[in-house]
Amino acid sequence: MKAEISRRRFLQGSVALSIAGGVSMSPSAIMASASASTKPEDIGKTKKVATLCEMCVNKCAAFAYVKNGIVTKLDPNPYFPKSRNMLCPRGNSGLAAIYDVDRLKYPLIRDGEKGSGKFKRATWDEAYSYISEKLTKILDEEKDNRSTVAFCAGEGMAEHTFKNFYTGFGSAHFLNHASLCLATTVSGYSLTIGGYGQADLENADYVVMAGANRAEAIVTPDSMDFFKRTTGRGAKLVVVDPRFTNTAAKSDKWLGINVGTDLAFVLALTYVVIKEDIYNKEFVENHFNDFATYKKHVLQNEYTPEWAEKITGIKAEDIYQVARDFMHHAPQSIYYQGRRTTWSKNDFQLRRAQAIFSALGGGIDIKGGICFGKSIAMEGHEVSAPIYDQAKSRIDAKEAAVVGGSGTWVGFRNMVLEGRNPYPIRALFNYKHNPMANMPNSAKTEAFLKKLDLVVTIDTMPSDTVMLSDVILPECTYLERTDPAKVYGGIEPAIVQRNKVVEPMYESKPVIEIMRGLSKKVSKPLFEITKKYDEEVQDTIEEDGEEATYEEFDLTKAFEESQEDLNHHAVAKYAGAAESLHAKGVFYPNMDKYFKKLNVNEYEYYPESKKYYSVMNKKFKTPSGKIECNLSSLTKRGIDAMPTWKKEYEIAVPDGQFRFITGRHAQFTQSGSSNNKMLLDLVPTNYMWINKRVASRMGIKFGDEVEVASKVGKTTIKAYPTEKIGLDTIFFIHGFGNKSQELTLASGNGGNDANIIEDSIEPMHGATCLHDTIVEIRKV
Amino acid sequence: MARYGMALDYKSCINCRACESACKAENGVLPGRDNYRIWVGQKEAEGEFPNISIASMTYHPSQCQHCDNAPCQQVCPTNATYYDDNGVVRVDIEKCILCTYCINACPYDARYVDDRTVTVDKCNFCSDTRLANGETTTACQATCPTKVRTFGDLDDPNSDISQLIAKREYKQVKEHLGTKPKLFYLL
Repeated sequence: MKAEISRRRFLQGSVALSIAGGVSMSPSAIMASASASTKPEDIGKTKKVATLCEMCVNKCAAFAYVKNGIVTKLDPNPYFPKSRNMLCPRGNSGLAAIYDVDRLKYPLIRDGEKGSGKFKRATWDEAYSYISEKLTKILDEEKDNRSTVAFCAGEGMAEHTFKNFYTGFGSAHFLNHASLCLATTVSGYSLTIGGYGQADLENADYVVMAGANRAEAIVTPDSMDFFKRTTGRGAKLVVVDPRFTNTAAKSDKWLGINVGTDLAFVLALTYVVIKEDIYNKEFVENHFNDFATYKKHVLQNEYTPEWAEKITGIKAEDIYQVARDFMHHAPQSIYYQGRRTTWSKNDFQLRRAQAIFSALGGGIDIKGGICFGKSIAMEGHEVSAPIYDQAKSRIDAKEAAVVGGSGTWVGFRNMVLEGRNPYPIRALFNYKHNPMANMPNSAKTEAFLKKLDLVVTIDTMPSDTVMLSDVILPECTYLERTDPAKVYGGIEPAIVQRNKVVEPMYESKPVIEIMRGLSKKVSKPLFEITKKYDEEVQDTIEEDGEEATYEEFDLTKAFEESQEDLNHHAVAKYAGAAESLHAKGVFYPNMDKYFKKLNVNEYEYYPESKKYYSVMNKKFKTPSGKIECNLSSLTKRGIDAMPTWKKEYEIAVPDGQFRFITGRHAQFTQSGSSNNKMLLDLVPTNYMWINKRVASRMGIKFGDEVEVASKVGKTTIKAYPTEKIGLDTIFFIHGFGNKSQELTLASGNGGNDANIIEDSIEPMHGATCLHDTIVEIRKV
Repeated sequence: MARYGMALDYKSCINCRACESACKAENGVLPGRDNYRIWVGQKEAEGEFPNISIASMTYHPSQCQHCDNAPCQQVCPTNATYYDDNGVVRVDIEKCILCTYCINACPYDARYVDDRTVTVDKCNFCSDTRLANGETTTACQATCPTKVRTFGDLDDPNSDISQLIAKREYKQVKEHLGTKPKLFYLL
């Protein structure tokens, strides 16, 4: 989007500026204020620490350079097979995350109306005591129904640590990003081919990427492996997207599809390969369950390319060609799974149809197809999961056909707001999660948060959700903590570990220490409540005595050991693993033998013969051990057994209105990076994409402020007229338009999609439909 | 003594601009849209939805071309711009008087004013920040997700860059001006 204007034209201004000020805005000024605890002998020396990025979900390995206690630079760490040898712009901007002046610095307790933004500084002990008092009161009033307290967490290495507290606490309610993100695609592929898998983009010959935008929404190693091979260099790419993205710019064919109609496209592809008999017969015969029924279903419903053309806007001839080309290159052909896939009501069925179509080519568990790979066993860390007799089951279990362990966030929130909860929901513990920004209809989220008696948020930045909390506990950033070692399974599996680079700044702490302190404070008082209401526990005390009974309910136990000790223990059975994780951040068996530098840019992690391309021995992890075409068991839950197009999926866009879609680009993750100075330097704000011809008719020019309004809310944003989007579609990047006044750079910057997206959910998992909203726009 | 150059497998560029970020962090380039040593040039796609020309939207990562025959060096009245021992075109900030002749003379628009030193600044292949500390790559090369860049010694026939430009076809930018650039865009 950057305009190609010569700098020379600004020379005059530039020189004038230099003379006028030359005020340094370099991070060093901020860094200097950091409390750096440098040992005298280390002054002036540069230390290199292996860490793991947390600017998005990918966990790329990095090396942090530290001088005089200050992190000066982040560089790629080449040892991790998943992230190869790179750091994207967000990875580089971790420097601005640790040294963000707006960071949460010490515990805060609300000191005014909810949402007033008024807080008073507290000591950690005061904060813990406040929480303990409130929690005890709530659980006493609710007769130890632990499920009246909900827990939610953003994705991350330490989510597990927070979850240990939740497990010990005994609530039925855990909520996370799954129902706002990838629940449908993970289950769609898992129930069909036995796993979400890893698309082997290093070896695939033909890839259909629909809605996935790997040149901008970077996923490792997919993005790095693939774009070295596109544009006539080995891999053919078909991009199906309502927008012409950077990924489309790398494609051999781009199909600008109508929003929400991908399922019709995939069904038509399936129709062609069945009708023309060009699918992989051998694979289907041996590894498909009930293909005959699916074949009949697709043919009888006449899912022809001509039928699909009317729905999708994609020409029938293009559909024929993609279907034929796909099978021509199969089994090295992939219909790419995608990740953030909560788009429309039919999403689960769409992912099922994709998985079946991909499998029709035989490209499953094979080099160049969708692989499942291997994991590396680590020693687990036992935590007790006490049973509380008074704890009731999830309230949102019936909001969709299959509600998993992380719930349906929107369903849960709406039940509470609408008073449909069978028992009160009184409190929320929130770790590093920003429902105000990540969930559609922020007006409802705000009302939900205000309705709760106690909201405790652990985070690094004063997000919109933080501002609506009662107690704020400042976590340190990822560069200031060691997190649990974790395995990344796949074609080239490895264990990785995030090592602490510098000491936590201000009064912030890693979440394991926060949990340790909190559990020490609340464990005993909460047990007193259980004693009062739990007859099972009363009986046990009578038999075994109080001390022995408390053992199981002791919340502090999960946090007794340090993270470093836990990690050491987890990999104890591998010689040299702990040392490697400390020094290199990475370990895998035979790493010392396998790891090789190939040239200045590339490394080899496993020799070709040792990569885990095929591991299933032709037995897939589905009920029948085969690819499942017909999941008849789902019908009794009201879910179609086979992917079926329905008239209701065709959402008409009224004249003068638009369908709204959202997404990402490479210089921004989500609301979590909205205040990042280095990233805002690359892309200062978000823009609303609108078709150029439509914009011109409406008198909207580049940079004009427009108001985007839906049934549930509105937001204001600058316009970017472009032909890269269709006539009836509007798009802008997610995560901007924060309200929190404490975010100096992000506050009020750009448009907020959470304000305008309607909060409907799909029927399978209660995942949110992010692309089903119709909006109106007007120039302001 | 070396003769440093850079080969760019530019078709792999996804316009993520990690190189810009890494360069600014490594070399302390100030924030601001006009402050940059390197950049990714982008052409806006041609055509009307849904008939967009895929070939029209391309990304061109760029920076100082480290010309063997650099116009910026020729016009500098104080010899602030000079070739170092490795053929890298550099600016001596002690000598720079900010006359900005070099900024106008550079056909690649690769120079800008650094508000910290109030002198002209530009890419120096991370000579002072990385090469001087024993690193063998530039920040932009190291960080690149799709490994667009290969930096190295053109005088060493065994270097990765020499091997690349011996084997692959390449183009250079504004070669006709006689600048003898040392950036090679691999085709």
